[in-house]
Amino acid sequence: METDLELMLRVARGDERSFEELLRRHRAPLTNYFRRMVRDPSLAEDLAQEVFLRIYQARARYRPDARFTTWLYRIATNLALNAIRDRKGEAPQADTEDFEDGSGPGQLADSRPNVEQQLMQSDRERVIRQAVEELPERQRAAVILHKYQNVDYQQIAKILGVSESAVKSLLFRAYESLRTRLEPLLVGGKL
Amino acid sequence: MKCCEREQLFAYCQRLLAADEEEKVRAHVAECAACRAVVGEYEKLDTLLDDWQPAEPSPWFDARVRAAIAADSSRAESARPRFGLVWVRWLAPAVGLALVLVAVLVVWRSHRPQVHPVTQAVIPAAAPQVPQNVANPAFAPAVKQASHPQMARTQPVPAQPAATAAGEDLQLYEDLSVLEDYDLLAGFDVLSELPKGEKREVEN
Repeated sequence: METDLELMLRVARGDERSFEELLRRHRAPLTNYFRRMVRDPSLAEDLAQEVFLRIYQARARYRPDARFTTWLYRIATNLALNAIRDRKGEAPQADTEDFEDGSGPGQLADSRPNVEQQLMQSDRERVIRQAVEELPERQRAAVILHKYQNVDYQQIAKILGVSESAVKSLLFRAYESLRTRLEPLLVGGKL
Repeated sequence: MKCCEREQLFAYCQRLLAADEEEKVRAHVAECAACRAVVGEYEKLDTLLDDWQPAEPSPWFDARVRAAIAADSSRAESARPRFGLVWVRWLAPAVGLALVLVAVLVVWRSHRPQVHPVTQAVIPAAAPQVPQNVANPAFAPAVKQASHPQMARTQPVPAQPAATAAGEDLQLYEDLSVLEDYDLLAGFDVLSELPKGEKREVEN
């Protein structure tokens, strides 16, 4: 199996199929990264598409001096942080993601255990998401990259443009904040 | 061993420590209940964060990426200048520059000192001629200086080198006060057009 780097070098030479392969490999992780960073699912998809467009536009200038994912998430993080800053003045959105699976408020009367479990899971997700969203931008990016995107801290340092020790410090402070905010879930296991 | 800092325990949980440091912390945590509890908290938090499940992108994600790339490519194509239309882009500035140059030339020509072309043309032809009708020698130097084309034709100047005559002529032309000397002008034919009374006064 070809590495991302090899695929990208082939894209640089005009191979469209290699670009399709990169798209297939990274669309889901990238979309999830944006969903966790900016919350709004449609904005997250727009931003993920923008990343792929930028990669395609820059294909001829691509230099394999870093991992492909470092480059990918560097573009993505810049877009996400800009989007967060642009939307800071806007009113917070309603929590629509909780009911995407159909477990909306209209079905609360259903007392089947699986629905109750679904609601509990949905509630836990909402609380975790809120706790992560309340983190400062860079801490949030560091936690999401480290925890959900499996990016190592050397790469995170390059993506965020900070030192490795700064990444460790960012992650530690973020986890301390999350530990405090998620204490009810950690202690009792329930909200 | 002294208890570990929380930051060190966090780094231990996240596997951010160097191998030798990780080994030391592991040995301490195995013996210290307090530090083990902190490590337990971080591990629990890490497990809790896993509950935030990923979502799949929409089914039309790839199609939208391809459409965005196609739109961008066609935009870039239309923005590229075509060879036949390149000159049009330069036409307006070129015409503007030409108009400015013409205006500057016109202004410059209207302010520079003028030399009447006819004078220059006549004097060399008249230079070799010897004056025929200059009775009064007092007139001679002035007549030599006559510069008006009409005067030059009717009052030939004494013979002299052509270059000197042209130079003096130019000087006379610039010094128009000479023409205000009525006595000087008395011998010119142009005075025949004056009223008789005035001509008589000149003759007297």
